[in-house]
Amino acid sequence: MLALLDAWLLAPFDYGFMGRAAVAGLALSLAAPPLGVFLMLRGMSLIGDAMSHAILPGIALGFLFAGFSLPIMSLGGILSGLVVAVLAGSVSQMTGHREDSAMASFFLISLAAGVMLVSLGGSSVDLTHVLFGSILAVDTTALLLIASIATLIVLSLAGIFRALVVECLDPLFLRGQGVRGGLVHGVFLGLVVLNLTAGFQTLGTLMAVGLMMLPATTARFWSQRLEGLIVIAIAIALIANLGGLLLSYHFSLPSGPAIILLAGLAYIVSALCGRHHSLIARHRRRAAPLNAPQPH
Amino acid sequence: MARLQLHDLQLARGGQTVLEHLDGRFQDGAITALIGANGAGKSTLISAIMGMLPPVAGRVECGVSRERCAWLPQQLALDLTFPMSVEELIMTGTWPSHGAFKGYCAAHYRRGREIMARLGISHLAHRQLGELSGGQRQRALIGRTLMQEAELLLLDEPFANVDGETVEVLMEVLRDMAAAGTTILVVLHDMEQLSRLADDVLLLAGGHGRWVGPEALLDYHTGQPARAPRLPIDFSDIPHAGTA
Repeated sequence: MLALLDAWLLAPFDYGFMGRAAVAGLALSLAAPPLGVFLMLRGMSLIGDAMSHAILPGIALGFLFAGFSLPIMSLGGILSGLVVAVLAGSVSQMTGHREDSAMASFFLISLAAGVMLVSLGGSSVDLTHVLFGSILAVDTTALLLIASIATLIVLSLAGIFRALVVECLDPLFLRGQGVRGGLVHGVFLGLVVLNLTAGFQTLGTLMAVGLMMLPATTARFWSQRLEGLIVIAIAIALIANLGGLLLSYHFSLPSGPAIILLAGLAYIVSALCGRHHSLIARHRRRAAPLNAPQPH
Repeated sequence: MARLQLHDLQLARGGQTVLEHLDGRFQDGAITALIGANGAGKSTLISAIMGMLPPVAGRVECGVSRERCAWLPQQLALDLTFPMSVEELIMTGTWPSHGAFKGYCAAHYRRGREIMARLGISHLAHRQLGELSGGQRQRALIGRTLMQEAELLLLDEPFANVDGETVEVLMEVLRDMAAAGTTILVVLHDMEQLSRLADDVLLLAGGHGRWVGPEALLDYHTGQPARAPRLPIDFSDIPHAGTA
């Protein structure tokens, strides 16, 4: 039995590429879900998706200039993500249109530009790699980069945590205290861009956002406290990451989709039978007598 | 020397003058009621005092640091779906002393608990904001201003949609805050509440303001608060009205 467990759960990580992918997944699982929780709570769940497209042209340009160099591609991704975020913000301020419509326009332009650039400079295999990632490509340099970015995100988020919480809850109060809410928001969006560039190597630009949002939206079914949401989201991301890697190893599945589908499965199960707001929880609540204690 | 003074203030919204030639000083440690019909410029004046609306002419002189000014607008910007408990909300009032980084110590948590007890919401400490009634939420928000040790408190219709018991508790707390030196400015429509709460009244009508004592709003036939004020108020209706 133990031997079977070892063969299934531990032995695969003896391979260098699996070990590196697991560590990369661990780093991403600590950094991405807290950002997802805040995006979800701010009603910006789809902004992550938009930003994941926005980093594509930069990654493509990095690829065109320096070939498959993760640092250069990441730098390009960060720059183009920030440019799109600033452009969308400026256009919405200048025109008075809502920020989401400007963001939608820019991310579609970015996606097309990114795909065009990758196709011009490489093969369809490269495009697939950029869009969907590959654990095989996580070498030591990539791992160090991912771990550094994840560390930076966690530390920065800790730094702006209280300001971010107050800004989410009551922007007017924060403004009254002389703090520019826009600055906190800007730093937060910057962290989202950083996180997506860190995630594209293993999961690809399109699926990196899944590791950010799915654990967060799943956690909403299990906790109503901010700390609870963050801890549960991180736990779900960790399990999905390791589980997805093992599934991809044993069944020769692509790793990115395996990880995200596992997180997606957690979401669906939680929506059905989670502790709060799930189908079953709602049913129970309807059936509970008037003076029954409410779950917290 | 009053902490908050207005000097020949002129305010406009969307290019249209709302108030002009507004002068006066708000007494320290007193509750000033701001009254007037809808559109008379009450919220506009509050925005200007908070520094969110630059005056067209004149100036607002405010000797209170920005962090010690608290404002509870009528339309709250509060996101009630955000997972935060009553205690956590009250603790955010420590921002002026703690800012974004400093940790809370036991004394601050104790102060938070005292404030909740004072407002009668100790049993709601761990309740989420989204689960509170209007009155409970208002108590929690006043709790945050207590934690903030606000020196200037601006309240826009704080008793709208609030139960009677909460009104009594909040009035008592506001009186205590004023006694402790806080300058309080409160927009009110209910004349009975006004006569019980206000030390001073700034009446806005026709683009102008006039300072009157609360007794000016008593029904001079009965000596009781005029329950249904005649709005828009015509200054000539108020027998004791006079400039400060």
